[in-house]
Amino acid sequence: MSQIIGIGHTGRRKVLQATAAIGGLQLASPFIIKARGETPVKIGMVDPITGSLSALAVSEVEGAKWTVEQMNKKGGILGRPVELLIEDSANDTGTGVQKTHKLIERDNVDAIIGDVNSGIAYAMMGVTAEKKVFHVVPGGHTDPITGVDCKWNTFRTCNTTAMDTAAITGELVKRFGKKWFFITPDYAYGQTLQNNFVKKLKALGGEFQGDMLPIATSDFSATLIKAKAYKPDVLLNNMGGSAQINCMKQFVQFGMGKEMQLGGALFEIESVRSVPKEAQAGWWVMEWYWNQPNVPEVKKFVDAISPAIGGKMPTARHWMAYVSLHAVRLAAEAAKSLDAVKMAHALGDLELPPEVSLMPGKIRYRAGDHQLMSDIYIGQMHNAGPGGPDDLYKIEATVTGEEAAGPVESTGCKMSFPA
Amino acid sequence: MNETFLRRNLQPIVIWALLLTVPFWLPLFGGYTALAGRVLVFALAAMSFNMLLGFTGIMSFGHAAYFGLGAYGCGLFLKFVYASTPLAMLAGTLLGGIAGTLFGLLLVRRRGVYFAMVTIAFGQVCFYIAYKWDDLTGGYDGLRGFARAPIDLGLTKIDIQNNGTALYFFILLVFGVAAAAQGFVLRSPFGRTMLAIRENERRARFLGIPIEKHIWLSFSISCFFTALAGSLYALLNNFADPQGLTYVMSGNIVMITIMGGMRVFWGPLIGAVLFVALQDYVSSAWPTTWMGVVGVVFVSVVLFFPRGLMGMLQKRAGT
Repeated sequence: MSQIIGIGHTGRRKVLQATAAIGGLQLASPFIIKARGETPVKIGMVDPITGSLSALAVSEVEGAKWTVEQMNKKGGILGRPVELLIEDSANDTGTGVQKTHKLIERDNVDAIIGDVNSGIAYAMMGVTAEKKVFHVVPGGHTDPITGVDCKWNTFRTCNTTAMDTAAITGELVKRFGKKWFFITPDYAYGQTLQNNFVKKLKALGGEFQGDMLPIATSDFSATLIKAKAYKPDVLLNNMGGSAQINCMKQFVQFGMGKEMQLGGALFEIESVRSVPKEAQAGWWVMEWYWNQPNVPEVKKFVDAISPAIGGKMPTARHWMAYVSLHAVRLAAEAAKSLDAVKMAHALGDLELPPEVSLMPGKIRYRAGDHQLMSDIYIGQMHNAGPGGPDDLYKIEATVTGEEAAGPVESTGCKMSFPA
Repeated sequence: MNETFLRRNLQPIVIWALLLTVPFWLPLFGGYTALAGRVLVFALAAMSFNMLLGFTGIMSFGHAAYFGLGAYGCGLFLKFVYASTPLAMLAGTLLGGIAGTLFGLLLVRRRGVYFAMVTIAFGQVCFYIAYKWDDLTGGYDGLRGFARAPIDLGLTKIDIQNNGTALYFFILLVFGVAAAAQGFVLRSPFGRTMLAIRENERRARFLGIPIEKHIWLSFSISCFFTALAGSLYALLNNFADPQGLTYVMSGNIVMITIMGGMRVFWGPLIGAVLFVALQDYVSSAWPTTWMGVVGVVFVSVVLFFPRGLMGMLQKRAGT
């Protein structure tokens, strides 16, 4: 080697450089994906697989993997196989942005799915819009995503916080009373959620107190003591993932279950499974539920996916991933192309077939703001019933998406496509 | 003469040859140019940090504060003041650097673990300000809504917004200038004094060196460079977030430096290559367990190569 370079001395730096370079290249070697007969349609998914929202993200990832598997059995997208590339955003906005760049720049994905965390989803939109990549947000609820900051390339499957609060506020006031206490995560989702609740509560003449806490809070004692002193009719636990679970556990330990009711927007099955029995209570919104006897497609879906996810019942998160991926397929097939602009035009106001929507109503992504007008369920949480360990919720009423969301103008979205 | 020159400078020559040709060889290995930009940004941050740890012998655990302030300063300038990339970088560098200089005044009399603790505290103060000042910084969700502006050279414009390669070379240019400036500082009498303080503070004091003043200066210089790296980070992502200010990020900077080799000028660059590549590829391969893998690598480096990769290689090759 030294002869090749032409320096007599066996320089330590040479050895060092060579080793470092070779070492670096080893690391830099990619996981080469062998070309298959047909170039696959690549879909990149960014979700917080680690961190406080991991349980929700894992459900979405399970749902997405299963959906892609099924899709490939039925001919993929536009006759091409689908390849799903999953990245962890670690519940950190910077990492989420970086991973989105990576999927678009390195892997050249045709579409992006993500994120559970509203703030990350929101930040990812900046990247996908800049790079003109078709983007579906399966489960980040903050309003501006399909509101004031809506983008031509972004569609959202889960509800907005405005929709969820509109659906449940009246019910909570009617059943429990007008004095509320909020425990809310201090980021995009929590802020818009609480603002919407407060707006609607005030319109009904209610009063409130509350605390905004970091998203991954684990000790709620100070806030719970405050709540106890305020003596609200209902406590709205707006935290998500493991933070919500911890909060519920401490709520039960403090013996507060007898003093106030529980309720709010989202208390997802992933979390309900992990809280003490006393906290499996209250009136909540459910964005999708596996037990819908009057929708035959739901049973078919549940029977098919359940064995693939360890015999559990699919949750709203599985459904969000399922609908989001099918939305990519339907958009591509309606546009007969993978061009993001054409796909976005094609998906607007396209009615989803019932085997995709898995809901009683006619469901579509509204062209005006790209928000899915899904049916919203209102009901009661209860301890595991005769239907198995996941029989935790009873749908009492259904509100249509349009009714809860209001007209497009009220969202503040002005959709504009690139020329 | 020529041969001696080559032998003496082989290390920087190889490094620069590799850095200048990144856009040509990186895609062959499945990388992408933005990744190389990230490596440079973290390398610059870690090299700036290394001026303190490796060359002055002072452990700061709050360098993310200046890194993050650099990012916020740059982003806020682009968003609210004027769309000029160089001016925004200047704003970020000044914000982080001046904050560091002022904090430094309060820090210089602390040593060892106390110094590290106080730097963590300042870092967390900055984090909570960014986190709570929703209207200005976007709170937990980070600062959005700004974009790199093209560099106007009078005759021509360099489009660093849409051209990834141009952006990489822009970052490389800044990195090169900053690295040269750091090298210059370290070779100056002032740099030698820093080494003297590192080796034996008491003796240096007896020699009449004003220790506090030197440590303060060294901390301040280090903060300015770290803030410069932070402003590049904001440009790279078109985004700044409070996580960039936390002790986790400070820990990353420390990890990069130690893995690469403190006390070696180019050590942090190698550390950054290792760290960023590891994070990027391992997290794709094992999205659920990647953090564990990064941890194991770090522990092994510390256990088996206490001088870092670069330090160890130099030592072995040198003896």
